[in-house]
Amino acid sequence: MIPAPLLINALLVGAGLFCLGLVGILTRRNLIVMFLCAELMLQGVSVTLVAWSRYHGDWGGQVLTVFVLTVAACEAAVALVFVLQAFARTGRLDAAAWQSLREETLPRVIDRELPEGDAAGPTWPTLTPAGVRPPEDASHTLEREHV
Amino acid sequence: MDPATVPAPSGLLLAASVAMLAAALWLLLPKSSDTLASRRLGILLGALALVGFAATGRSLGSVGENGVFLTVSAVALVSGLATVVTRSPVYAAIWFAMALAGVAGVLLTLGAQFLGVATIVVYAGAILVMFLFVLMLAQPSGMAPYDRVTNEPMLAASAGAVLLGLLSMSIGRLSAIEPPACCRMPSRADAIASGSAAPVSPEAGDEVARLGAELFGRHLFSVEVAGILLLVALVGAIAVVSRGEAAAESGREAA
Repeated sequence: MIPAPLLINALLVGAGLFCLGLVGILTRRNLIVMFLCAELMLQGVSVTLVAWSRYHGDWGGQVLTVFVLTVAACEAAVALVFVLQAFARTGRLDAAAWQSLREETLPRVIDRELPEGDAAGPTWPTLTPAGVRPPEDASHTLEREHV
Repeated sequence: MDPATVPAPSGLLLAASVAMLAAALWLLLPKSSDTLASRRLGILLGALALVGFAATGRSLGSVGENGVFLTVSAVALVSGLATVVTRSPVYAAIWFAMALAGVAGVLLTLGAQFLGVATIVVYAGAILVMFLFVLMLAQPSGMAPYDRVTNEPMLAASAGAVLLGLLSMSIGRLSAIEPPACCRMPSRADAIASGSAAPVSPEAGDEVARLGAELFGRHLFSVEVAGILLLVALVGAIAVVSRGEAAAESGREAA
């Protein structure tokens, strides 16, 4: 059993996660990121279910959360297969690549201007290649080469 | 407290937090008119909105002194925001893992040990790794143009922030209302008091054991159905992949 104040704070956290995921799934265009945002909404629902379950001392909410986990795993497997198939057909992970499926009265998504920055992409960390001899330096000939 | 209304300072604070959250989301979401300064302003506004919501939660729930809960929930919410606004999908997946860690902390604080651990193992260990594999298979080099623009960022940010404000207000009304006796689940303490259940010692593994007893006792049929669902999803995923490859090969031969 948890006290009512903790229940309310946990419900607020669940609502926050749900709304953030909602904004993401409405705005983002990358299929994978949209899917991550849907999972974020599921996390918010899970927090809410567990909070009510602990407040009432009833196990139904936690059992339902276990099934949410199960269905999320199934959903991820099937949906990622479809995402991969969509990528194989269009070469893009863009939801707007499938806009020919829209209704007749809806406008096309047209990319008029792209932001200047970020075009190069993020800089990834690099690993030091192993097994490469460092260059010889004449000024350090006094260094011991072998022990 | 008047049960029908949120107290006035909390309402003002909530409105300010909602406005700041909407502005922060709009500034942080990928747009065509992005500058470093606007992103920094967005981060600042987001931090202010988080502080405002923490204060609202404190005035509604008054467990602000629970430092562990505040920390893990702040981790979950900040990482969730970063998942939504990050340009690179790989970084979005990593931020989502961080949000999962925060959610697992919240669940552990609430006393659901099994679900906290299962969130880490199943989500971060299995589902997220699957996401990263798909990103490795399907990510073009450099930053894709569709990662740098979003659909209707202002409308969506306002809608999300207003929805969060409405949910917070209805949760705030909850704080003054006790659940009616008809709708209350019989708690363990009530059952012990009425003599229908033997008292159990509150050990650490007790909660997990009782969740397992509930899952494999009352909900055994649902567990079997979930197992069948997992099997069907597995077979279906493999069938879609193999059939798609066959279609692609036949298309290549025809062309």
